[in-house]
Amino acid sequence: MSKIVLHLYIAGHTPRAERAINTLRQMLEHDLAGYECELTIIDVLADPQQAEDQKILATPTLIKSSPPPYRRIIGDLSSVADLLNVLNLPPKTGSSMINKE
Amino acid sequence: MKRSNPGIITRCVGKHGPTRRIIIEPPTRSTAEENLRAIVSHDADGAIIVDNSGVVRFLNSAAERLLDRHGAELHGQVFGFPLVVGERAEVEVLRPNGEFAVAEMRVVSIVWEGQDALLITLRDVTFERQAETALREAEEFSITILNSLTNEIVVLDEQGKIVAVNEAWLRFGRENGITDLAAISVGADYFAACAVDKTLTGGIDVLQGLRDVLAGNKEEFSCEYELPTSAGTRWFALRAVPLRGKRRGIVISHTDITEQRRAAQLAAEAEMLREQVRQMERELTNVDALSRPEDTARSRLSSLRQRLPEVFEYALHRYGSLLDEALQSRIHRTQLPSRALRELGEFLGSGWATPRDLIDIHLQAIRQRSAQSPPKKLQAYVEEGRLLLLELMGHLASFYRSLAIGELASRPPEQ
Repeated sequence: MSKIVLHLYIAGHTPRAERAINTLRQMLEHDLAGYECELTIIDVLADPQQAEDQKILATPTLIKSSPPPYRRIIGDLSSVADLLNVLNLPPKTGSSMINKE
Repeated sequence: MKRSNPGIITRCVGKHGPTRRIIIEPPTRSTAEENLRAIVSHDADGAIIVDNSGVVRFLNSAAERLLDRHGAELHGQVFGFPLVVGERAEVEVLRPNGEFAVAEMRVVSIVWEGQDALLITLRDVTFERQAETALREAEEFSITILNSLTNEIVVLDEQGKIVAVNEAWLRFGRENGITDLAAISVGADYFAACAVDKTLTGGIDVLQGLRDVLAGNKEEFSCEYELPTSAGTRWFALRAVPLRGKRRGIVISHTDITEQRRAAQLAAEAEMLREQVRQMERELTNVDALSRPEDTARSRLSSLRQRLPEVFEYALHRYGSLLDEALQSRIHRTQLPSRALRELGEFLGSGWATPRDLIDIHLQAIRQRSAQSPPKKLQAYVEEGRLLLLELMGHLASFYRSLAIGELASRPPEQ
């Protein structure tokens, strides 16, 4: 499988955003550790143009741009199992993660 | 009877008789969708219908207002697959002007235009969340004010239950051995605690005072109480005033006044000792007056301080040392060597010192020590000094007596 590329859009460091970040880190470090992963966190308050370019309508929004199929998820990102299911990513342990903010 | 409305009644058989029968048939798919569209279109909450890829298939006018965007602009755009854990999730809805609203999101699976889809309902809860935030901040501000106070503060409701406390109060509880802080925290019954235990509450006597303030019979109640602690007895001032506001209750502050109490006690003791010193001065002055020689002799003999200042200073120094030694002897219960005192008496006698000079030296030595000594030590100086002075006068008298005897013996018989 090609590198997993994720973009998380948040609106400031709210408890919701923190919960989403923690869930994603846990998912990447444990459940998807066997893949090469890249997670980028974008704060739309700090970078509104990027949100507009990507037509982000609500936060938190998680976008999986690779591997296909493209997925965009909105809402409660606190369940790893639900995320893996919607992202269509089978768990695999034991590799590295690139984290960008 | 037939109804074309979404509904449900399609035929009615037996129009007028008791055998009337209504047949209900399930609506067709298109009718159900029309119904849904009608409901969703007029819903006060924002409604967005997305397919399984999260692409917008429909949105109502409330959703347009919430997002501040036209429906045509969003139709066919990817909104996203909605994830809800439990019944609802909260999201921030972003607007083109950079502002955002907080919305409560619910999701229901539906069939839309013949395909599986998701109905996303967005209820604008921005005002509620802002109000909650403002309330939380106001409460935090109030708690910060309470915690900034060094006094121990407890706020009671009208039943005597604790509704707020500050950090100082909890710290005070910990320092005084209360391990179950719940017993003195929010929710605990302060009145009940007053009735059974004096610790931290002021005790049962306080109870009536607090009830009077709560009932409006008193504007304020205050008292002082003592509390035995591992570090000794401590004193506290309790002050209770009514809670000013819609809610009835009392605000109680406990202030540690131990230091003020001790300072007042020390000041009173010091004043008492000063009075003792003054009394002793008066007594000794009287003794001095009684022991004065005749007016003629007195006119010839001025005070030792004036005649022989160096002798006076030396005697003062020696007497002060002996006074300190006397105090040490008292503490360690040892005998004060009287030889040194006798030598001082003889030294003073050689300078023709009078009892008045001895009193002068004694008072000067006590005065010097009163400025530097705590009350208890000063009291000990006064007590020891009296004995020392009497003994010194005895030595001076013995010296003059032996001198007189020697003089008489050396006189020729005819005199």
